Amino acid sequence: MIRVQQAPFDAGAEQQALLAGRTDIGAVVCFTGLVRDFNETPEVTALTLEHYPGMTESALEAIVVEAEARWPLDGVRVIHRVGRLAPGDPIVLVAVASAHRRAAFEACDFIMDYLKTRAPFWKKEHATGGDYWVAERDSDHADASRWEA
Amino acid sequence: MSLTHLNARGEAHMVDVADKPESRRESSASGRIQMHPDTLALLAEGGLPKGDVLATARIAGIQAAKRTHELIPLCHALALSKVVIDFTLDEAASCVEVRATCRLNGRTGVEMEALTAVSVACLTLYDMCKAVDKEMEIGAIHLDTKTGGKSGDYRREGAAAAAEPVVRAVDGPIVTGEGQAGQVALGSRCDIAAPCVRVKCLAELRERLGVGDVSMPLGDLERTDVAGLKAALKTLDPRFSRLDEGRVLCAVNQVMASDSTPLTDDDEVAFFPPVTGG
Repeated sequence: MIRVQQAPFDAGAEQQALLAGRTDIGAVVCFTGLVRDFNETPEVTALTLEHYPGMTESALEAIVVEAEARWPLDGVRVIHRVGRLAPGDPIVLVAVASAHRRAAFEACDFIMDYLKTRAPFWKKEHATGGDYWVAERDSDHADASRWEA
Repeated sequence: MSLTHLNARGEAHMVDVADKPESRRESSASGRIQMHPDTLALLAEGGLPKGDVLATARIAGIQAAKRTHELIPLCHALALSKVVIDFTLDEAASCVEVRATCRLNGRTGVEMEALTAVSVACLTLYDMCKAVDKEMEIGAIHLDTKTGGKSGDYRREGAAAAAEPVVRAVDGPIVTGEGQAGQVALGSRCDIAAPCVRVKCLAELRERLGVGDVSMPLGDLERTDVAGLKAALKTLDPRFSRLDEGRVLCAVNQVMASDSTPLTDDDEVAFFPPVTGG
């Protein structure tokens, strides 16, 4: 299940929903990304996330489909927030359920790496020194390339 | 008519523009500084003791436009997308004509920024030349043109006609912005009768170019692919030359594309910077 929304999410509730009625799941990995108060400048006061509706959902869907092809998964939830967020706010959730932990850990890691380099979201940071668009990072591309065979 | 900076009790207040739609705003203002013919000659030759007078006044005007909100109490702080200061040396009238043009996509007009830019550029010209001429006189500072916004376009009588913009102004924020619904308006079909593609610029690229949406007739493309579209956009408006600055990605009908991706009628083509979500 994939959602792009402005509203906050409850990671605990999302994880429970993923597991509801299932007793064959042996592992669930739930990653939550938060807005930091430091990034490209030390004093980030807020963040505005822009996306490309339509393409965003299909890009996330393609990433989840690829994860499901690589690992035996019993359920995936991806939630990404858009709009204006404050430091400490949850920004992204990736929850992955599988029979065994290795698949859940790796698939969650994979989905986040691909999300950061392939899903059309853009961050604008509002800092005490002014507003600016966040630049892409080589390290994110290096992380994503780990999964290429 | 009423004064928008006064509230119901007649007190000064800053107008809440949060609910106003964003539009492309542009204002031009001009003014002049009268001086002794010898001073003007020195200025033209670069022979004044404080150095390059016009370059300094130009920077001063640009800086002033950006800081208008600090000077004029009820002005909003604006992220101007463009400030241009031009000087015309008029030997016949023995004066320097100063013209400022300010632009932004936003919710409030930029006439105060243009007027402030002209005023401060004139003051800087005075400061730069006062060692040789104390009788200089600043005057005739006025708004020439104003476009965009609810109150409509304004052109001072006798003001030179500005070139018509080739690219349609952004009608509103097309993507997530502060206080907005967090959605791109995916837009209507092409508003041109002929076969065309709908072009979108997203995020930082939209702000860098000052263009959100534009329709491009397929007939204007030498080659009906993404590379052909880029070439046609650059011919349409020089701002699109920035499509070559840095890494710019492209999606056709929301699928990642390259320069050789073919285009057909009513395709949606989006240009955007590298993604930074997560």
